[in-house]
Amino acid sequence: MALYKYFIKRLALTLPTLIGVSIIVFLLIHMIPGDPVDIMLGDRVTDASRLALEERLGLNQPLHIQYWNWFSNAVKGDFGISIRSNQPVIEEIMSRLPATVELTVVALFIAVVFGIIFGVSAARYRNTTIDYSMIGFSLLGVSIPIFWLGMMLIFFFSVILGWLPVSGRLAMGIAIPQVTGLYLVDALFAGNISYFWDALKHLALPAFSLATVSLALIVRVTRSSMLDVLSEDYIRTARAKGVRENKVVFTHALKNAMIPVVTVIGLQLAKLMGGAILTETVFSWPGIGRLLVTAISVRDYPVVQGVVFFVAFAFIAINIVVDLFYAYLDPRIRYE
Amino acid sequence: MNSEFKQVVKVYKKNKLAVVAFFIAAVLMILAVIGPYLAPYDPVEINLQARFEPGFWEGNTDHILGTDNLGRDIYSRILHGTGISLKVGYAVIAITAVAGLFIGLVSGYFGGVVDIVIMRFIDILLAFPPLLLALVIAATLGTGIEKAMLAIAIIYIPSLARIVRGSVLTVKEMPYVEASRAMGAGNIWIITGHVFPNVVTPVIVYLTLLLGDAILYTAALGFLGVGIDPTTPEWGAMLSSGKDFLILGKWWITVFPGIMIFLAVLSFNLFGDGLREAVDSKLRL
Repeated sequence: MALYKYFIKRLALTLPTLIGVSIIVFLLIHMIPGDPVDIMLGDRVTDASRLALEERLGLNQPLHIQYWNWFSNAVKGDFGISIRSNQPVIEEIMSRLPATVELTVVALFIAVVFGIIFGVSAARYRNTTIDYSMIGFSLLGVSIPIFWLGMMLIFFFSVILGWLPVSGRLAMGIAIPQVTGLYLVDALFAGNISYFWDALKHLALPAFSLATVSLALIVRVTRSSMLDVLSEDYIRTARAKGVRENKVVFTHALKNAMIPVVTVIGLQLAKLMGGAILTETVFSWPGIGRLLVTAISVRDYPVVQGVVFFVAFAFIAINIVVDLFYAYLDPRIRYE
Repeated sequence: MNSEFKQVVKVYKKNKLAVVAFFIAAVLMILAVIGPYLAPYDPVEINLQARFEPGFWEGNTDHILGTDNLGRDIYSRILHGTGISLKVGYAVIAITAVAGLFIGLVSGYFGGVVDIVIMRFIDILLAFPPLLLALVIAATLGTGIEKAMLAIAIIYIPSLARIVRGSVLTVKEMPYVEASRAMGAGNIWIITGHVFPNVVTPVIVYLTLLLGDAILYTAALGFLGVGIDPTTPEWGAMLSSGKDFLILGKWWITVFPGIMIFLAVLSFNLFGDGLREAVDSKLRL
């Protein structure tokens, strides 16, 4: 099967899932026990404002019509208007999206680069102190609550040592000209190294705490996959030929050991998207996760619906890209 | 059965780390029951005269782990919190086991349209990042420990149902099932007598691995203040209330509950890993 045919098939299979997701997200607002308008407006409410909100949310219409209106607007990116800020929900999401993207991409980068380096070194120096400390690290790393880790990092690096900032994306008074919204990239565009350094310092702790769980998993998988590959016949042949051990590990083994690692990396995106909700809350990072948690606490349901649908949609889209990548790497997948 | 169990225990005992983890987990399970009786103070009692008191490291014998921003005794809150976390964990296991088994058995055994509809629905649930799903469901259901249990269980039900369905598909083609049917056995008899006992092992392993994870999600919901009342002595909620005082140097409010979450998750994870290895080795024999 050609890659584009596989892509179309994969896309067609996703469509019913996407519609199902939209139904669940839509129904959320109707599953709230009690009257959503009362809950959103609180106790002191006049009949006029009540009717106005009902009208605005379309709650006075039959359910299927409400759904259709919501869905047809949602696919166009229109999730309605925030009850608290009176801004369109999509604008609220878009203004915070770059912060979340920057955080998760940097965290994924840390997890992949260090995960592979640590995992390979553990396998290369099997049953040495290096190996044992990597195993220990990966055991602890998968079980640590990242929101607590984040707090402990703040306490150590910010409160005690004073090296890194406690929260936010930039120091007070700094304004980077916005191009992409990714401050690291924008600072480079502006050619301002001190801004770049400041953004990086703010990013360090949140990105590291978010990366920890994925990093630990990647270390574990890389190590065991490398050990499997290193026991293969062709590795023994290479060693018997007198190839240097580093060359055996890095050129002969590494490439073949990467297939299970790539699979695990693909699975980390869901973890990171969930973890971002926690990390952003710990570090007051102005991203989508914090937008969601705040919206939940002030019962701003259009924002909750918008963010959840947006994130689920992004998650599905990312999964398709990951699947396509596998299909490209391993053509057998396309025929399954 | 008895000798199989002995075999699993024998393999498990070779894994030293798993043995240590088992003992820590056992201590936590006991603490969950007797903890409230050991607690010297009421975990929710506010004492504004005793705010931010440091603990034993400054010679405080009244509050050995210190007090929080409302003067509540952290040691007492941690002891009560053990019960809450484990209770949620057990409940999540129970809900997941019942719902996952039922859905998986029905879907795998009967097949056809029922199977297609159920599997589609499971695909939809798996399309959400897990924490996001638990978070919005907890937010929708409202505050309450029972609601948090349900919200967390929904993360695992789809995966367990899939595992069960997969095993059922294999088991139902077995000759003994065919033989039983030939002898006139009904669906209920075949499911309870033949299919269920043969799919239960992977289910038990899955459920053991889930406990640590469920405790972590409980703490996450408590920390985010969704589904769990922020005043309850739940470990995650304690972290959330201590978070803002960390920059003032009041580290003990967040350090101790965090250690408890970490210890509980770690010991249950290692216990689950050890058990899975032991069971796998038994299956290979």
